Amino acid sequence: MALLGGAVLLMLAAMLCLSVLGQGIERLAYSDALAARAPGVAQALQASGLRQIGGDFELVEAGLAFAVFAFLPLCQLRSGHATVEVFTAPLGRRANLWLRAFWEVVLALALCVVAWRLGAGTLDKADNGQTTFLLQFPVWWAYAASLCAAAIAAAIAVWCAAVWLWRAARGVGDADADPVA
Amino acid sequence: MTALTLGYLSFPALLAAIFLRAPIGLAMVLAGFIGLWAATGSPDVALAKLKSESFTTFASYSLSIIPMFLLMGQFATLSGMSRSLFDAGAAWLGHRRGGLAMAAIGACAGFGAICGSSLATAATMGRVALPELRRHGYDGGLAQATLAAGGTLGILIPPSVILVIYAILTEQNIAHLFLAALIPGLMAAGGYMAVIALYVRRHPEAAGQGVRLPLRDRMAALRGVWQVAAVFALVVGGIYAGWFAPTKGAAVGAAATGLLALASGTLTWRKLGEALMATAISTAMIYFVIFGAAFYNGFLALSQLPQHLTGWVTGQGLSPILVLAVILLGYLILGCLMDSLSMILLTIPILWPVMQGLDFGLSPDATAIWFGILVLIVVEVGLITPPVGMNLFVINRIDRATGMGRTYRAVIWFVASDIARVALLVAFPAITLFLLPV
Repeated sequence: MALLGGAVLLMLAAMLCLSVLGQGIERLAYSDALAARAPGVAQALQASGLRQIGGDFELVEAGLAFAVFAFLPLCQLRSGHATVEVFTAPLGRRANLWLRAFWEVVLALALCVVAWRLGAGTLDKADNGQTTFLLQFPVWWAYAASLCAAAIAAAIAVWCAAVWLWRAARGVGDADADPVA
Repeated sequence: MTALTLGYLSFPALLAAIFLRAPIGLAMVLAGFIGLWAATGSPDVALAKLKSESFTTFASYSLSIIPMFLLMGQFATLSGMSRSLFDAGAAWLGHRRGGLAMAAIGACAGFGAICGSSLATAATMGRVALPELRRHGYDGGLAQATLAAGGTLGILIPPSVILVIYAILTEQNIAHLFLAALIPGLMAAGGYMAVIALYVRRHPEAAGQGVRLPLRDRMAALRGVWQVAAVFALVVGGIYAGWFAPTKGAAVGAAATGLLALASGTLTWRKLGEALMATAISTAMIYFVIFGAAFYNGFLALSQLPQHLTGWVTGQGLSPILVLAVILLGYLILGCLMDSLSMILLTIPILWPVMQGLDFGLSPDATAIWFGILVLIVVEVGLITPPVGMNLFVINRIDRATGMGRTYRAVIWFVASDIARVALLVAFPAITLFLLPV
């Protein structure tokens, strides 16, 4: 899942670079300097259709939202979320296990709510038929892609919460560990 | 209870949750959700906001610069540029007493020019430079303190992920913030080198000395650095000159470092996977905190807390410099506990209006940039302040043989140089601002 998100990120980066190149060529093709010195080249460039990718930022936005939702489960599986452990460290291992389990349960609930509301938002966008400004693709496509990733993130969060509850109840392991060994 | 009271109550409650090891982003989402519920009397508003808020936060073009810069940093760690930077520094400075440590600082500064994160800079340069320093007879405490401090240059010297966030929060020009960070960043590198020189004068046994290389070898070592210079010039120069928007600049930088890593032969499929995974984890962590902050700020705006606090502070007739000093001191303390990015996202929406209400004799934009650089420096000091600084732990993990106590004793010197620099920048805003076209 995260790798899929990563692939999307790579493609977005590549697309932005192409867009930058296109923008440069476009600027060159329509520049006075080139038109004066080499009008043939300028015309050829203009005719080549090489230019900034129209609506590139709309693709970035849609792709990135999907990628971030796809990254969330990995972040949770690798204990990547930002936390402050200095104050709770003196409480001992068992107390920390319970704290971790508690917050994992809350996180799972929160991600379920987020996925549920995103689902409602997707239906809204599908109903009102809103499309993006330049590329004119329906906004709900992007929502739906993110929703798939968000649903998986919620499911994995529930599983993580179960793992931590089990560990806290049994007193196994360490609160700073990852949910998968 | 009024919304304003709820707003003031929510902040200590939020901090309490964070100190009870709640994931910071989650704590902010909760505080925002419960606050909105309590203020409006039903969960409907909060639930309606959630329909699109997660998507629109993640689908932000201006924020997409962050994963691009993170990816660029990951590729940079793979590319072997860290090694050539250190070798070049060692060739020029290695024969001096403490010279290798200074070379490590210089290499960190150079690496900071292509990497926007402190922990990544500390980890990457630590892997390259720590074994070398130990091999040349450097004291473990000094070596670790040097690299932990050098790591903070990753975020000070542009590009910097935290400055991007700050720019978005305060609606400032990213290119101007990057430019403003350059001189303070170089001052930091200079200050750290001076600290090393002083330290080895007092503790001559702490550092070894290398042999002096002939000029030809030195020039040869310098050749390895051109890649870093080229990428930095392309990305930061290109953004500044207006060749491309910051997000595109970051994408170009990621592609350029990726190609360089590919050319150096270190970018295998496995390494690419690892780089993507590391980018994914940091991205998710940062975006989750951003999402929490956006949601919490929605509630804060409703409660009108920022306006009220600003009115109160300016109504006290306190000297602006005093207020600034208290804020910076607060950041210094919080910085020891919390990661810099979460702290900025949590506090800037509340404190930036307060700063805007105070008169420092600077234009609003100049105040924003100056304040941003100051905050950036003090939160980074937290990364190397004993006993909790994150950079210290990252470095200590690489060289377990040295006890943390010895690192603490050496790193105090670097912290002192940081604090002296902050005082200097507060006293003379022009140091930060004179490069800017105002």
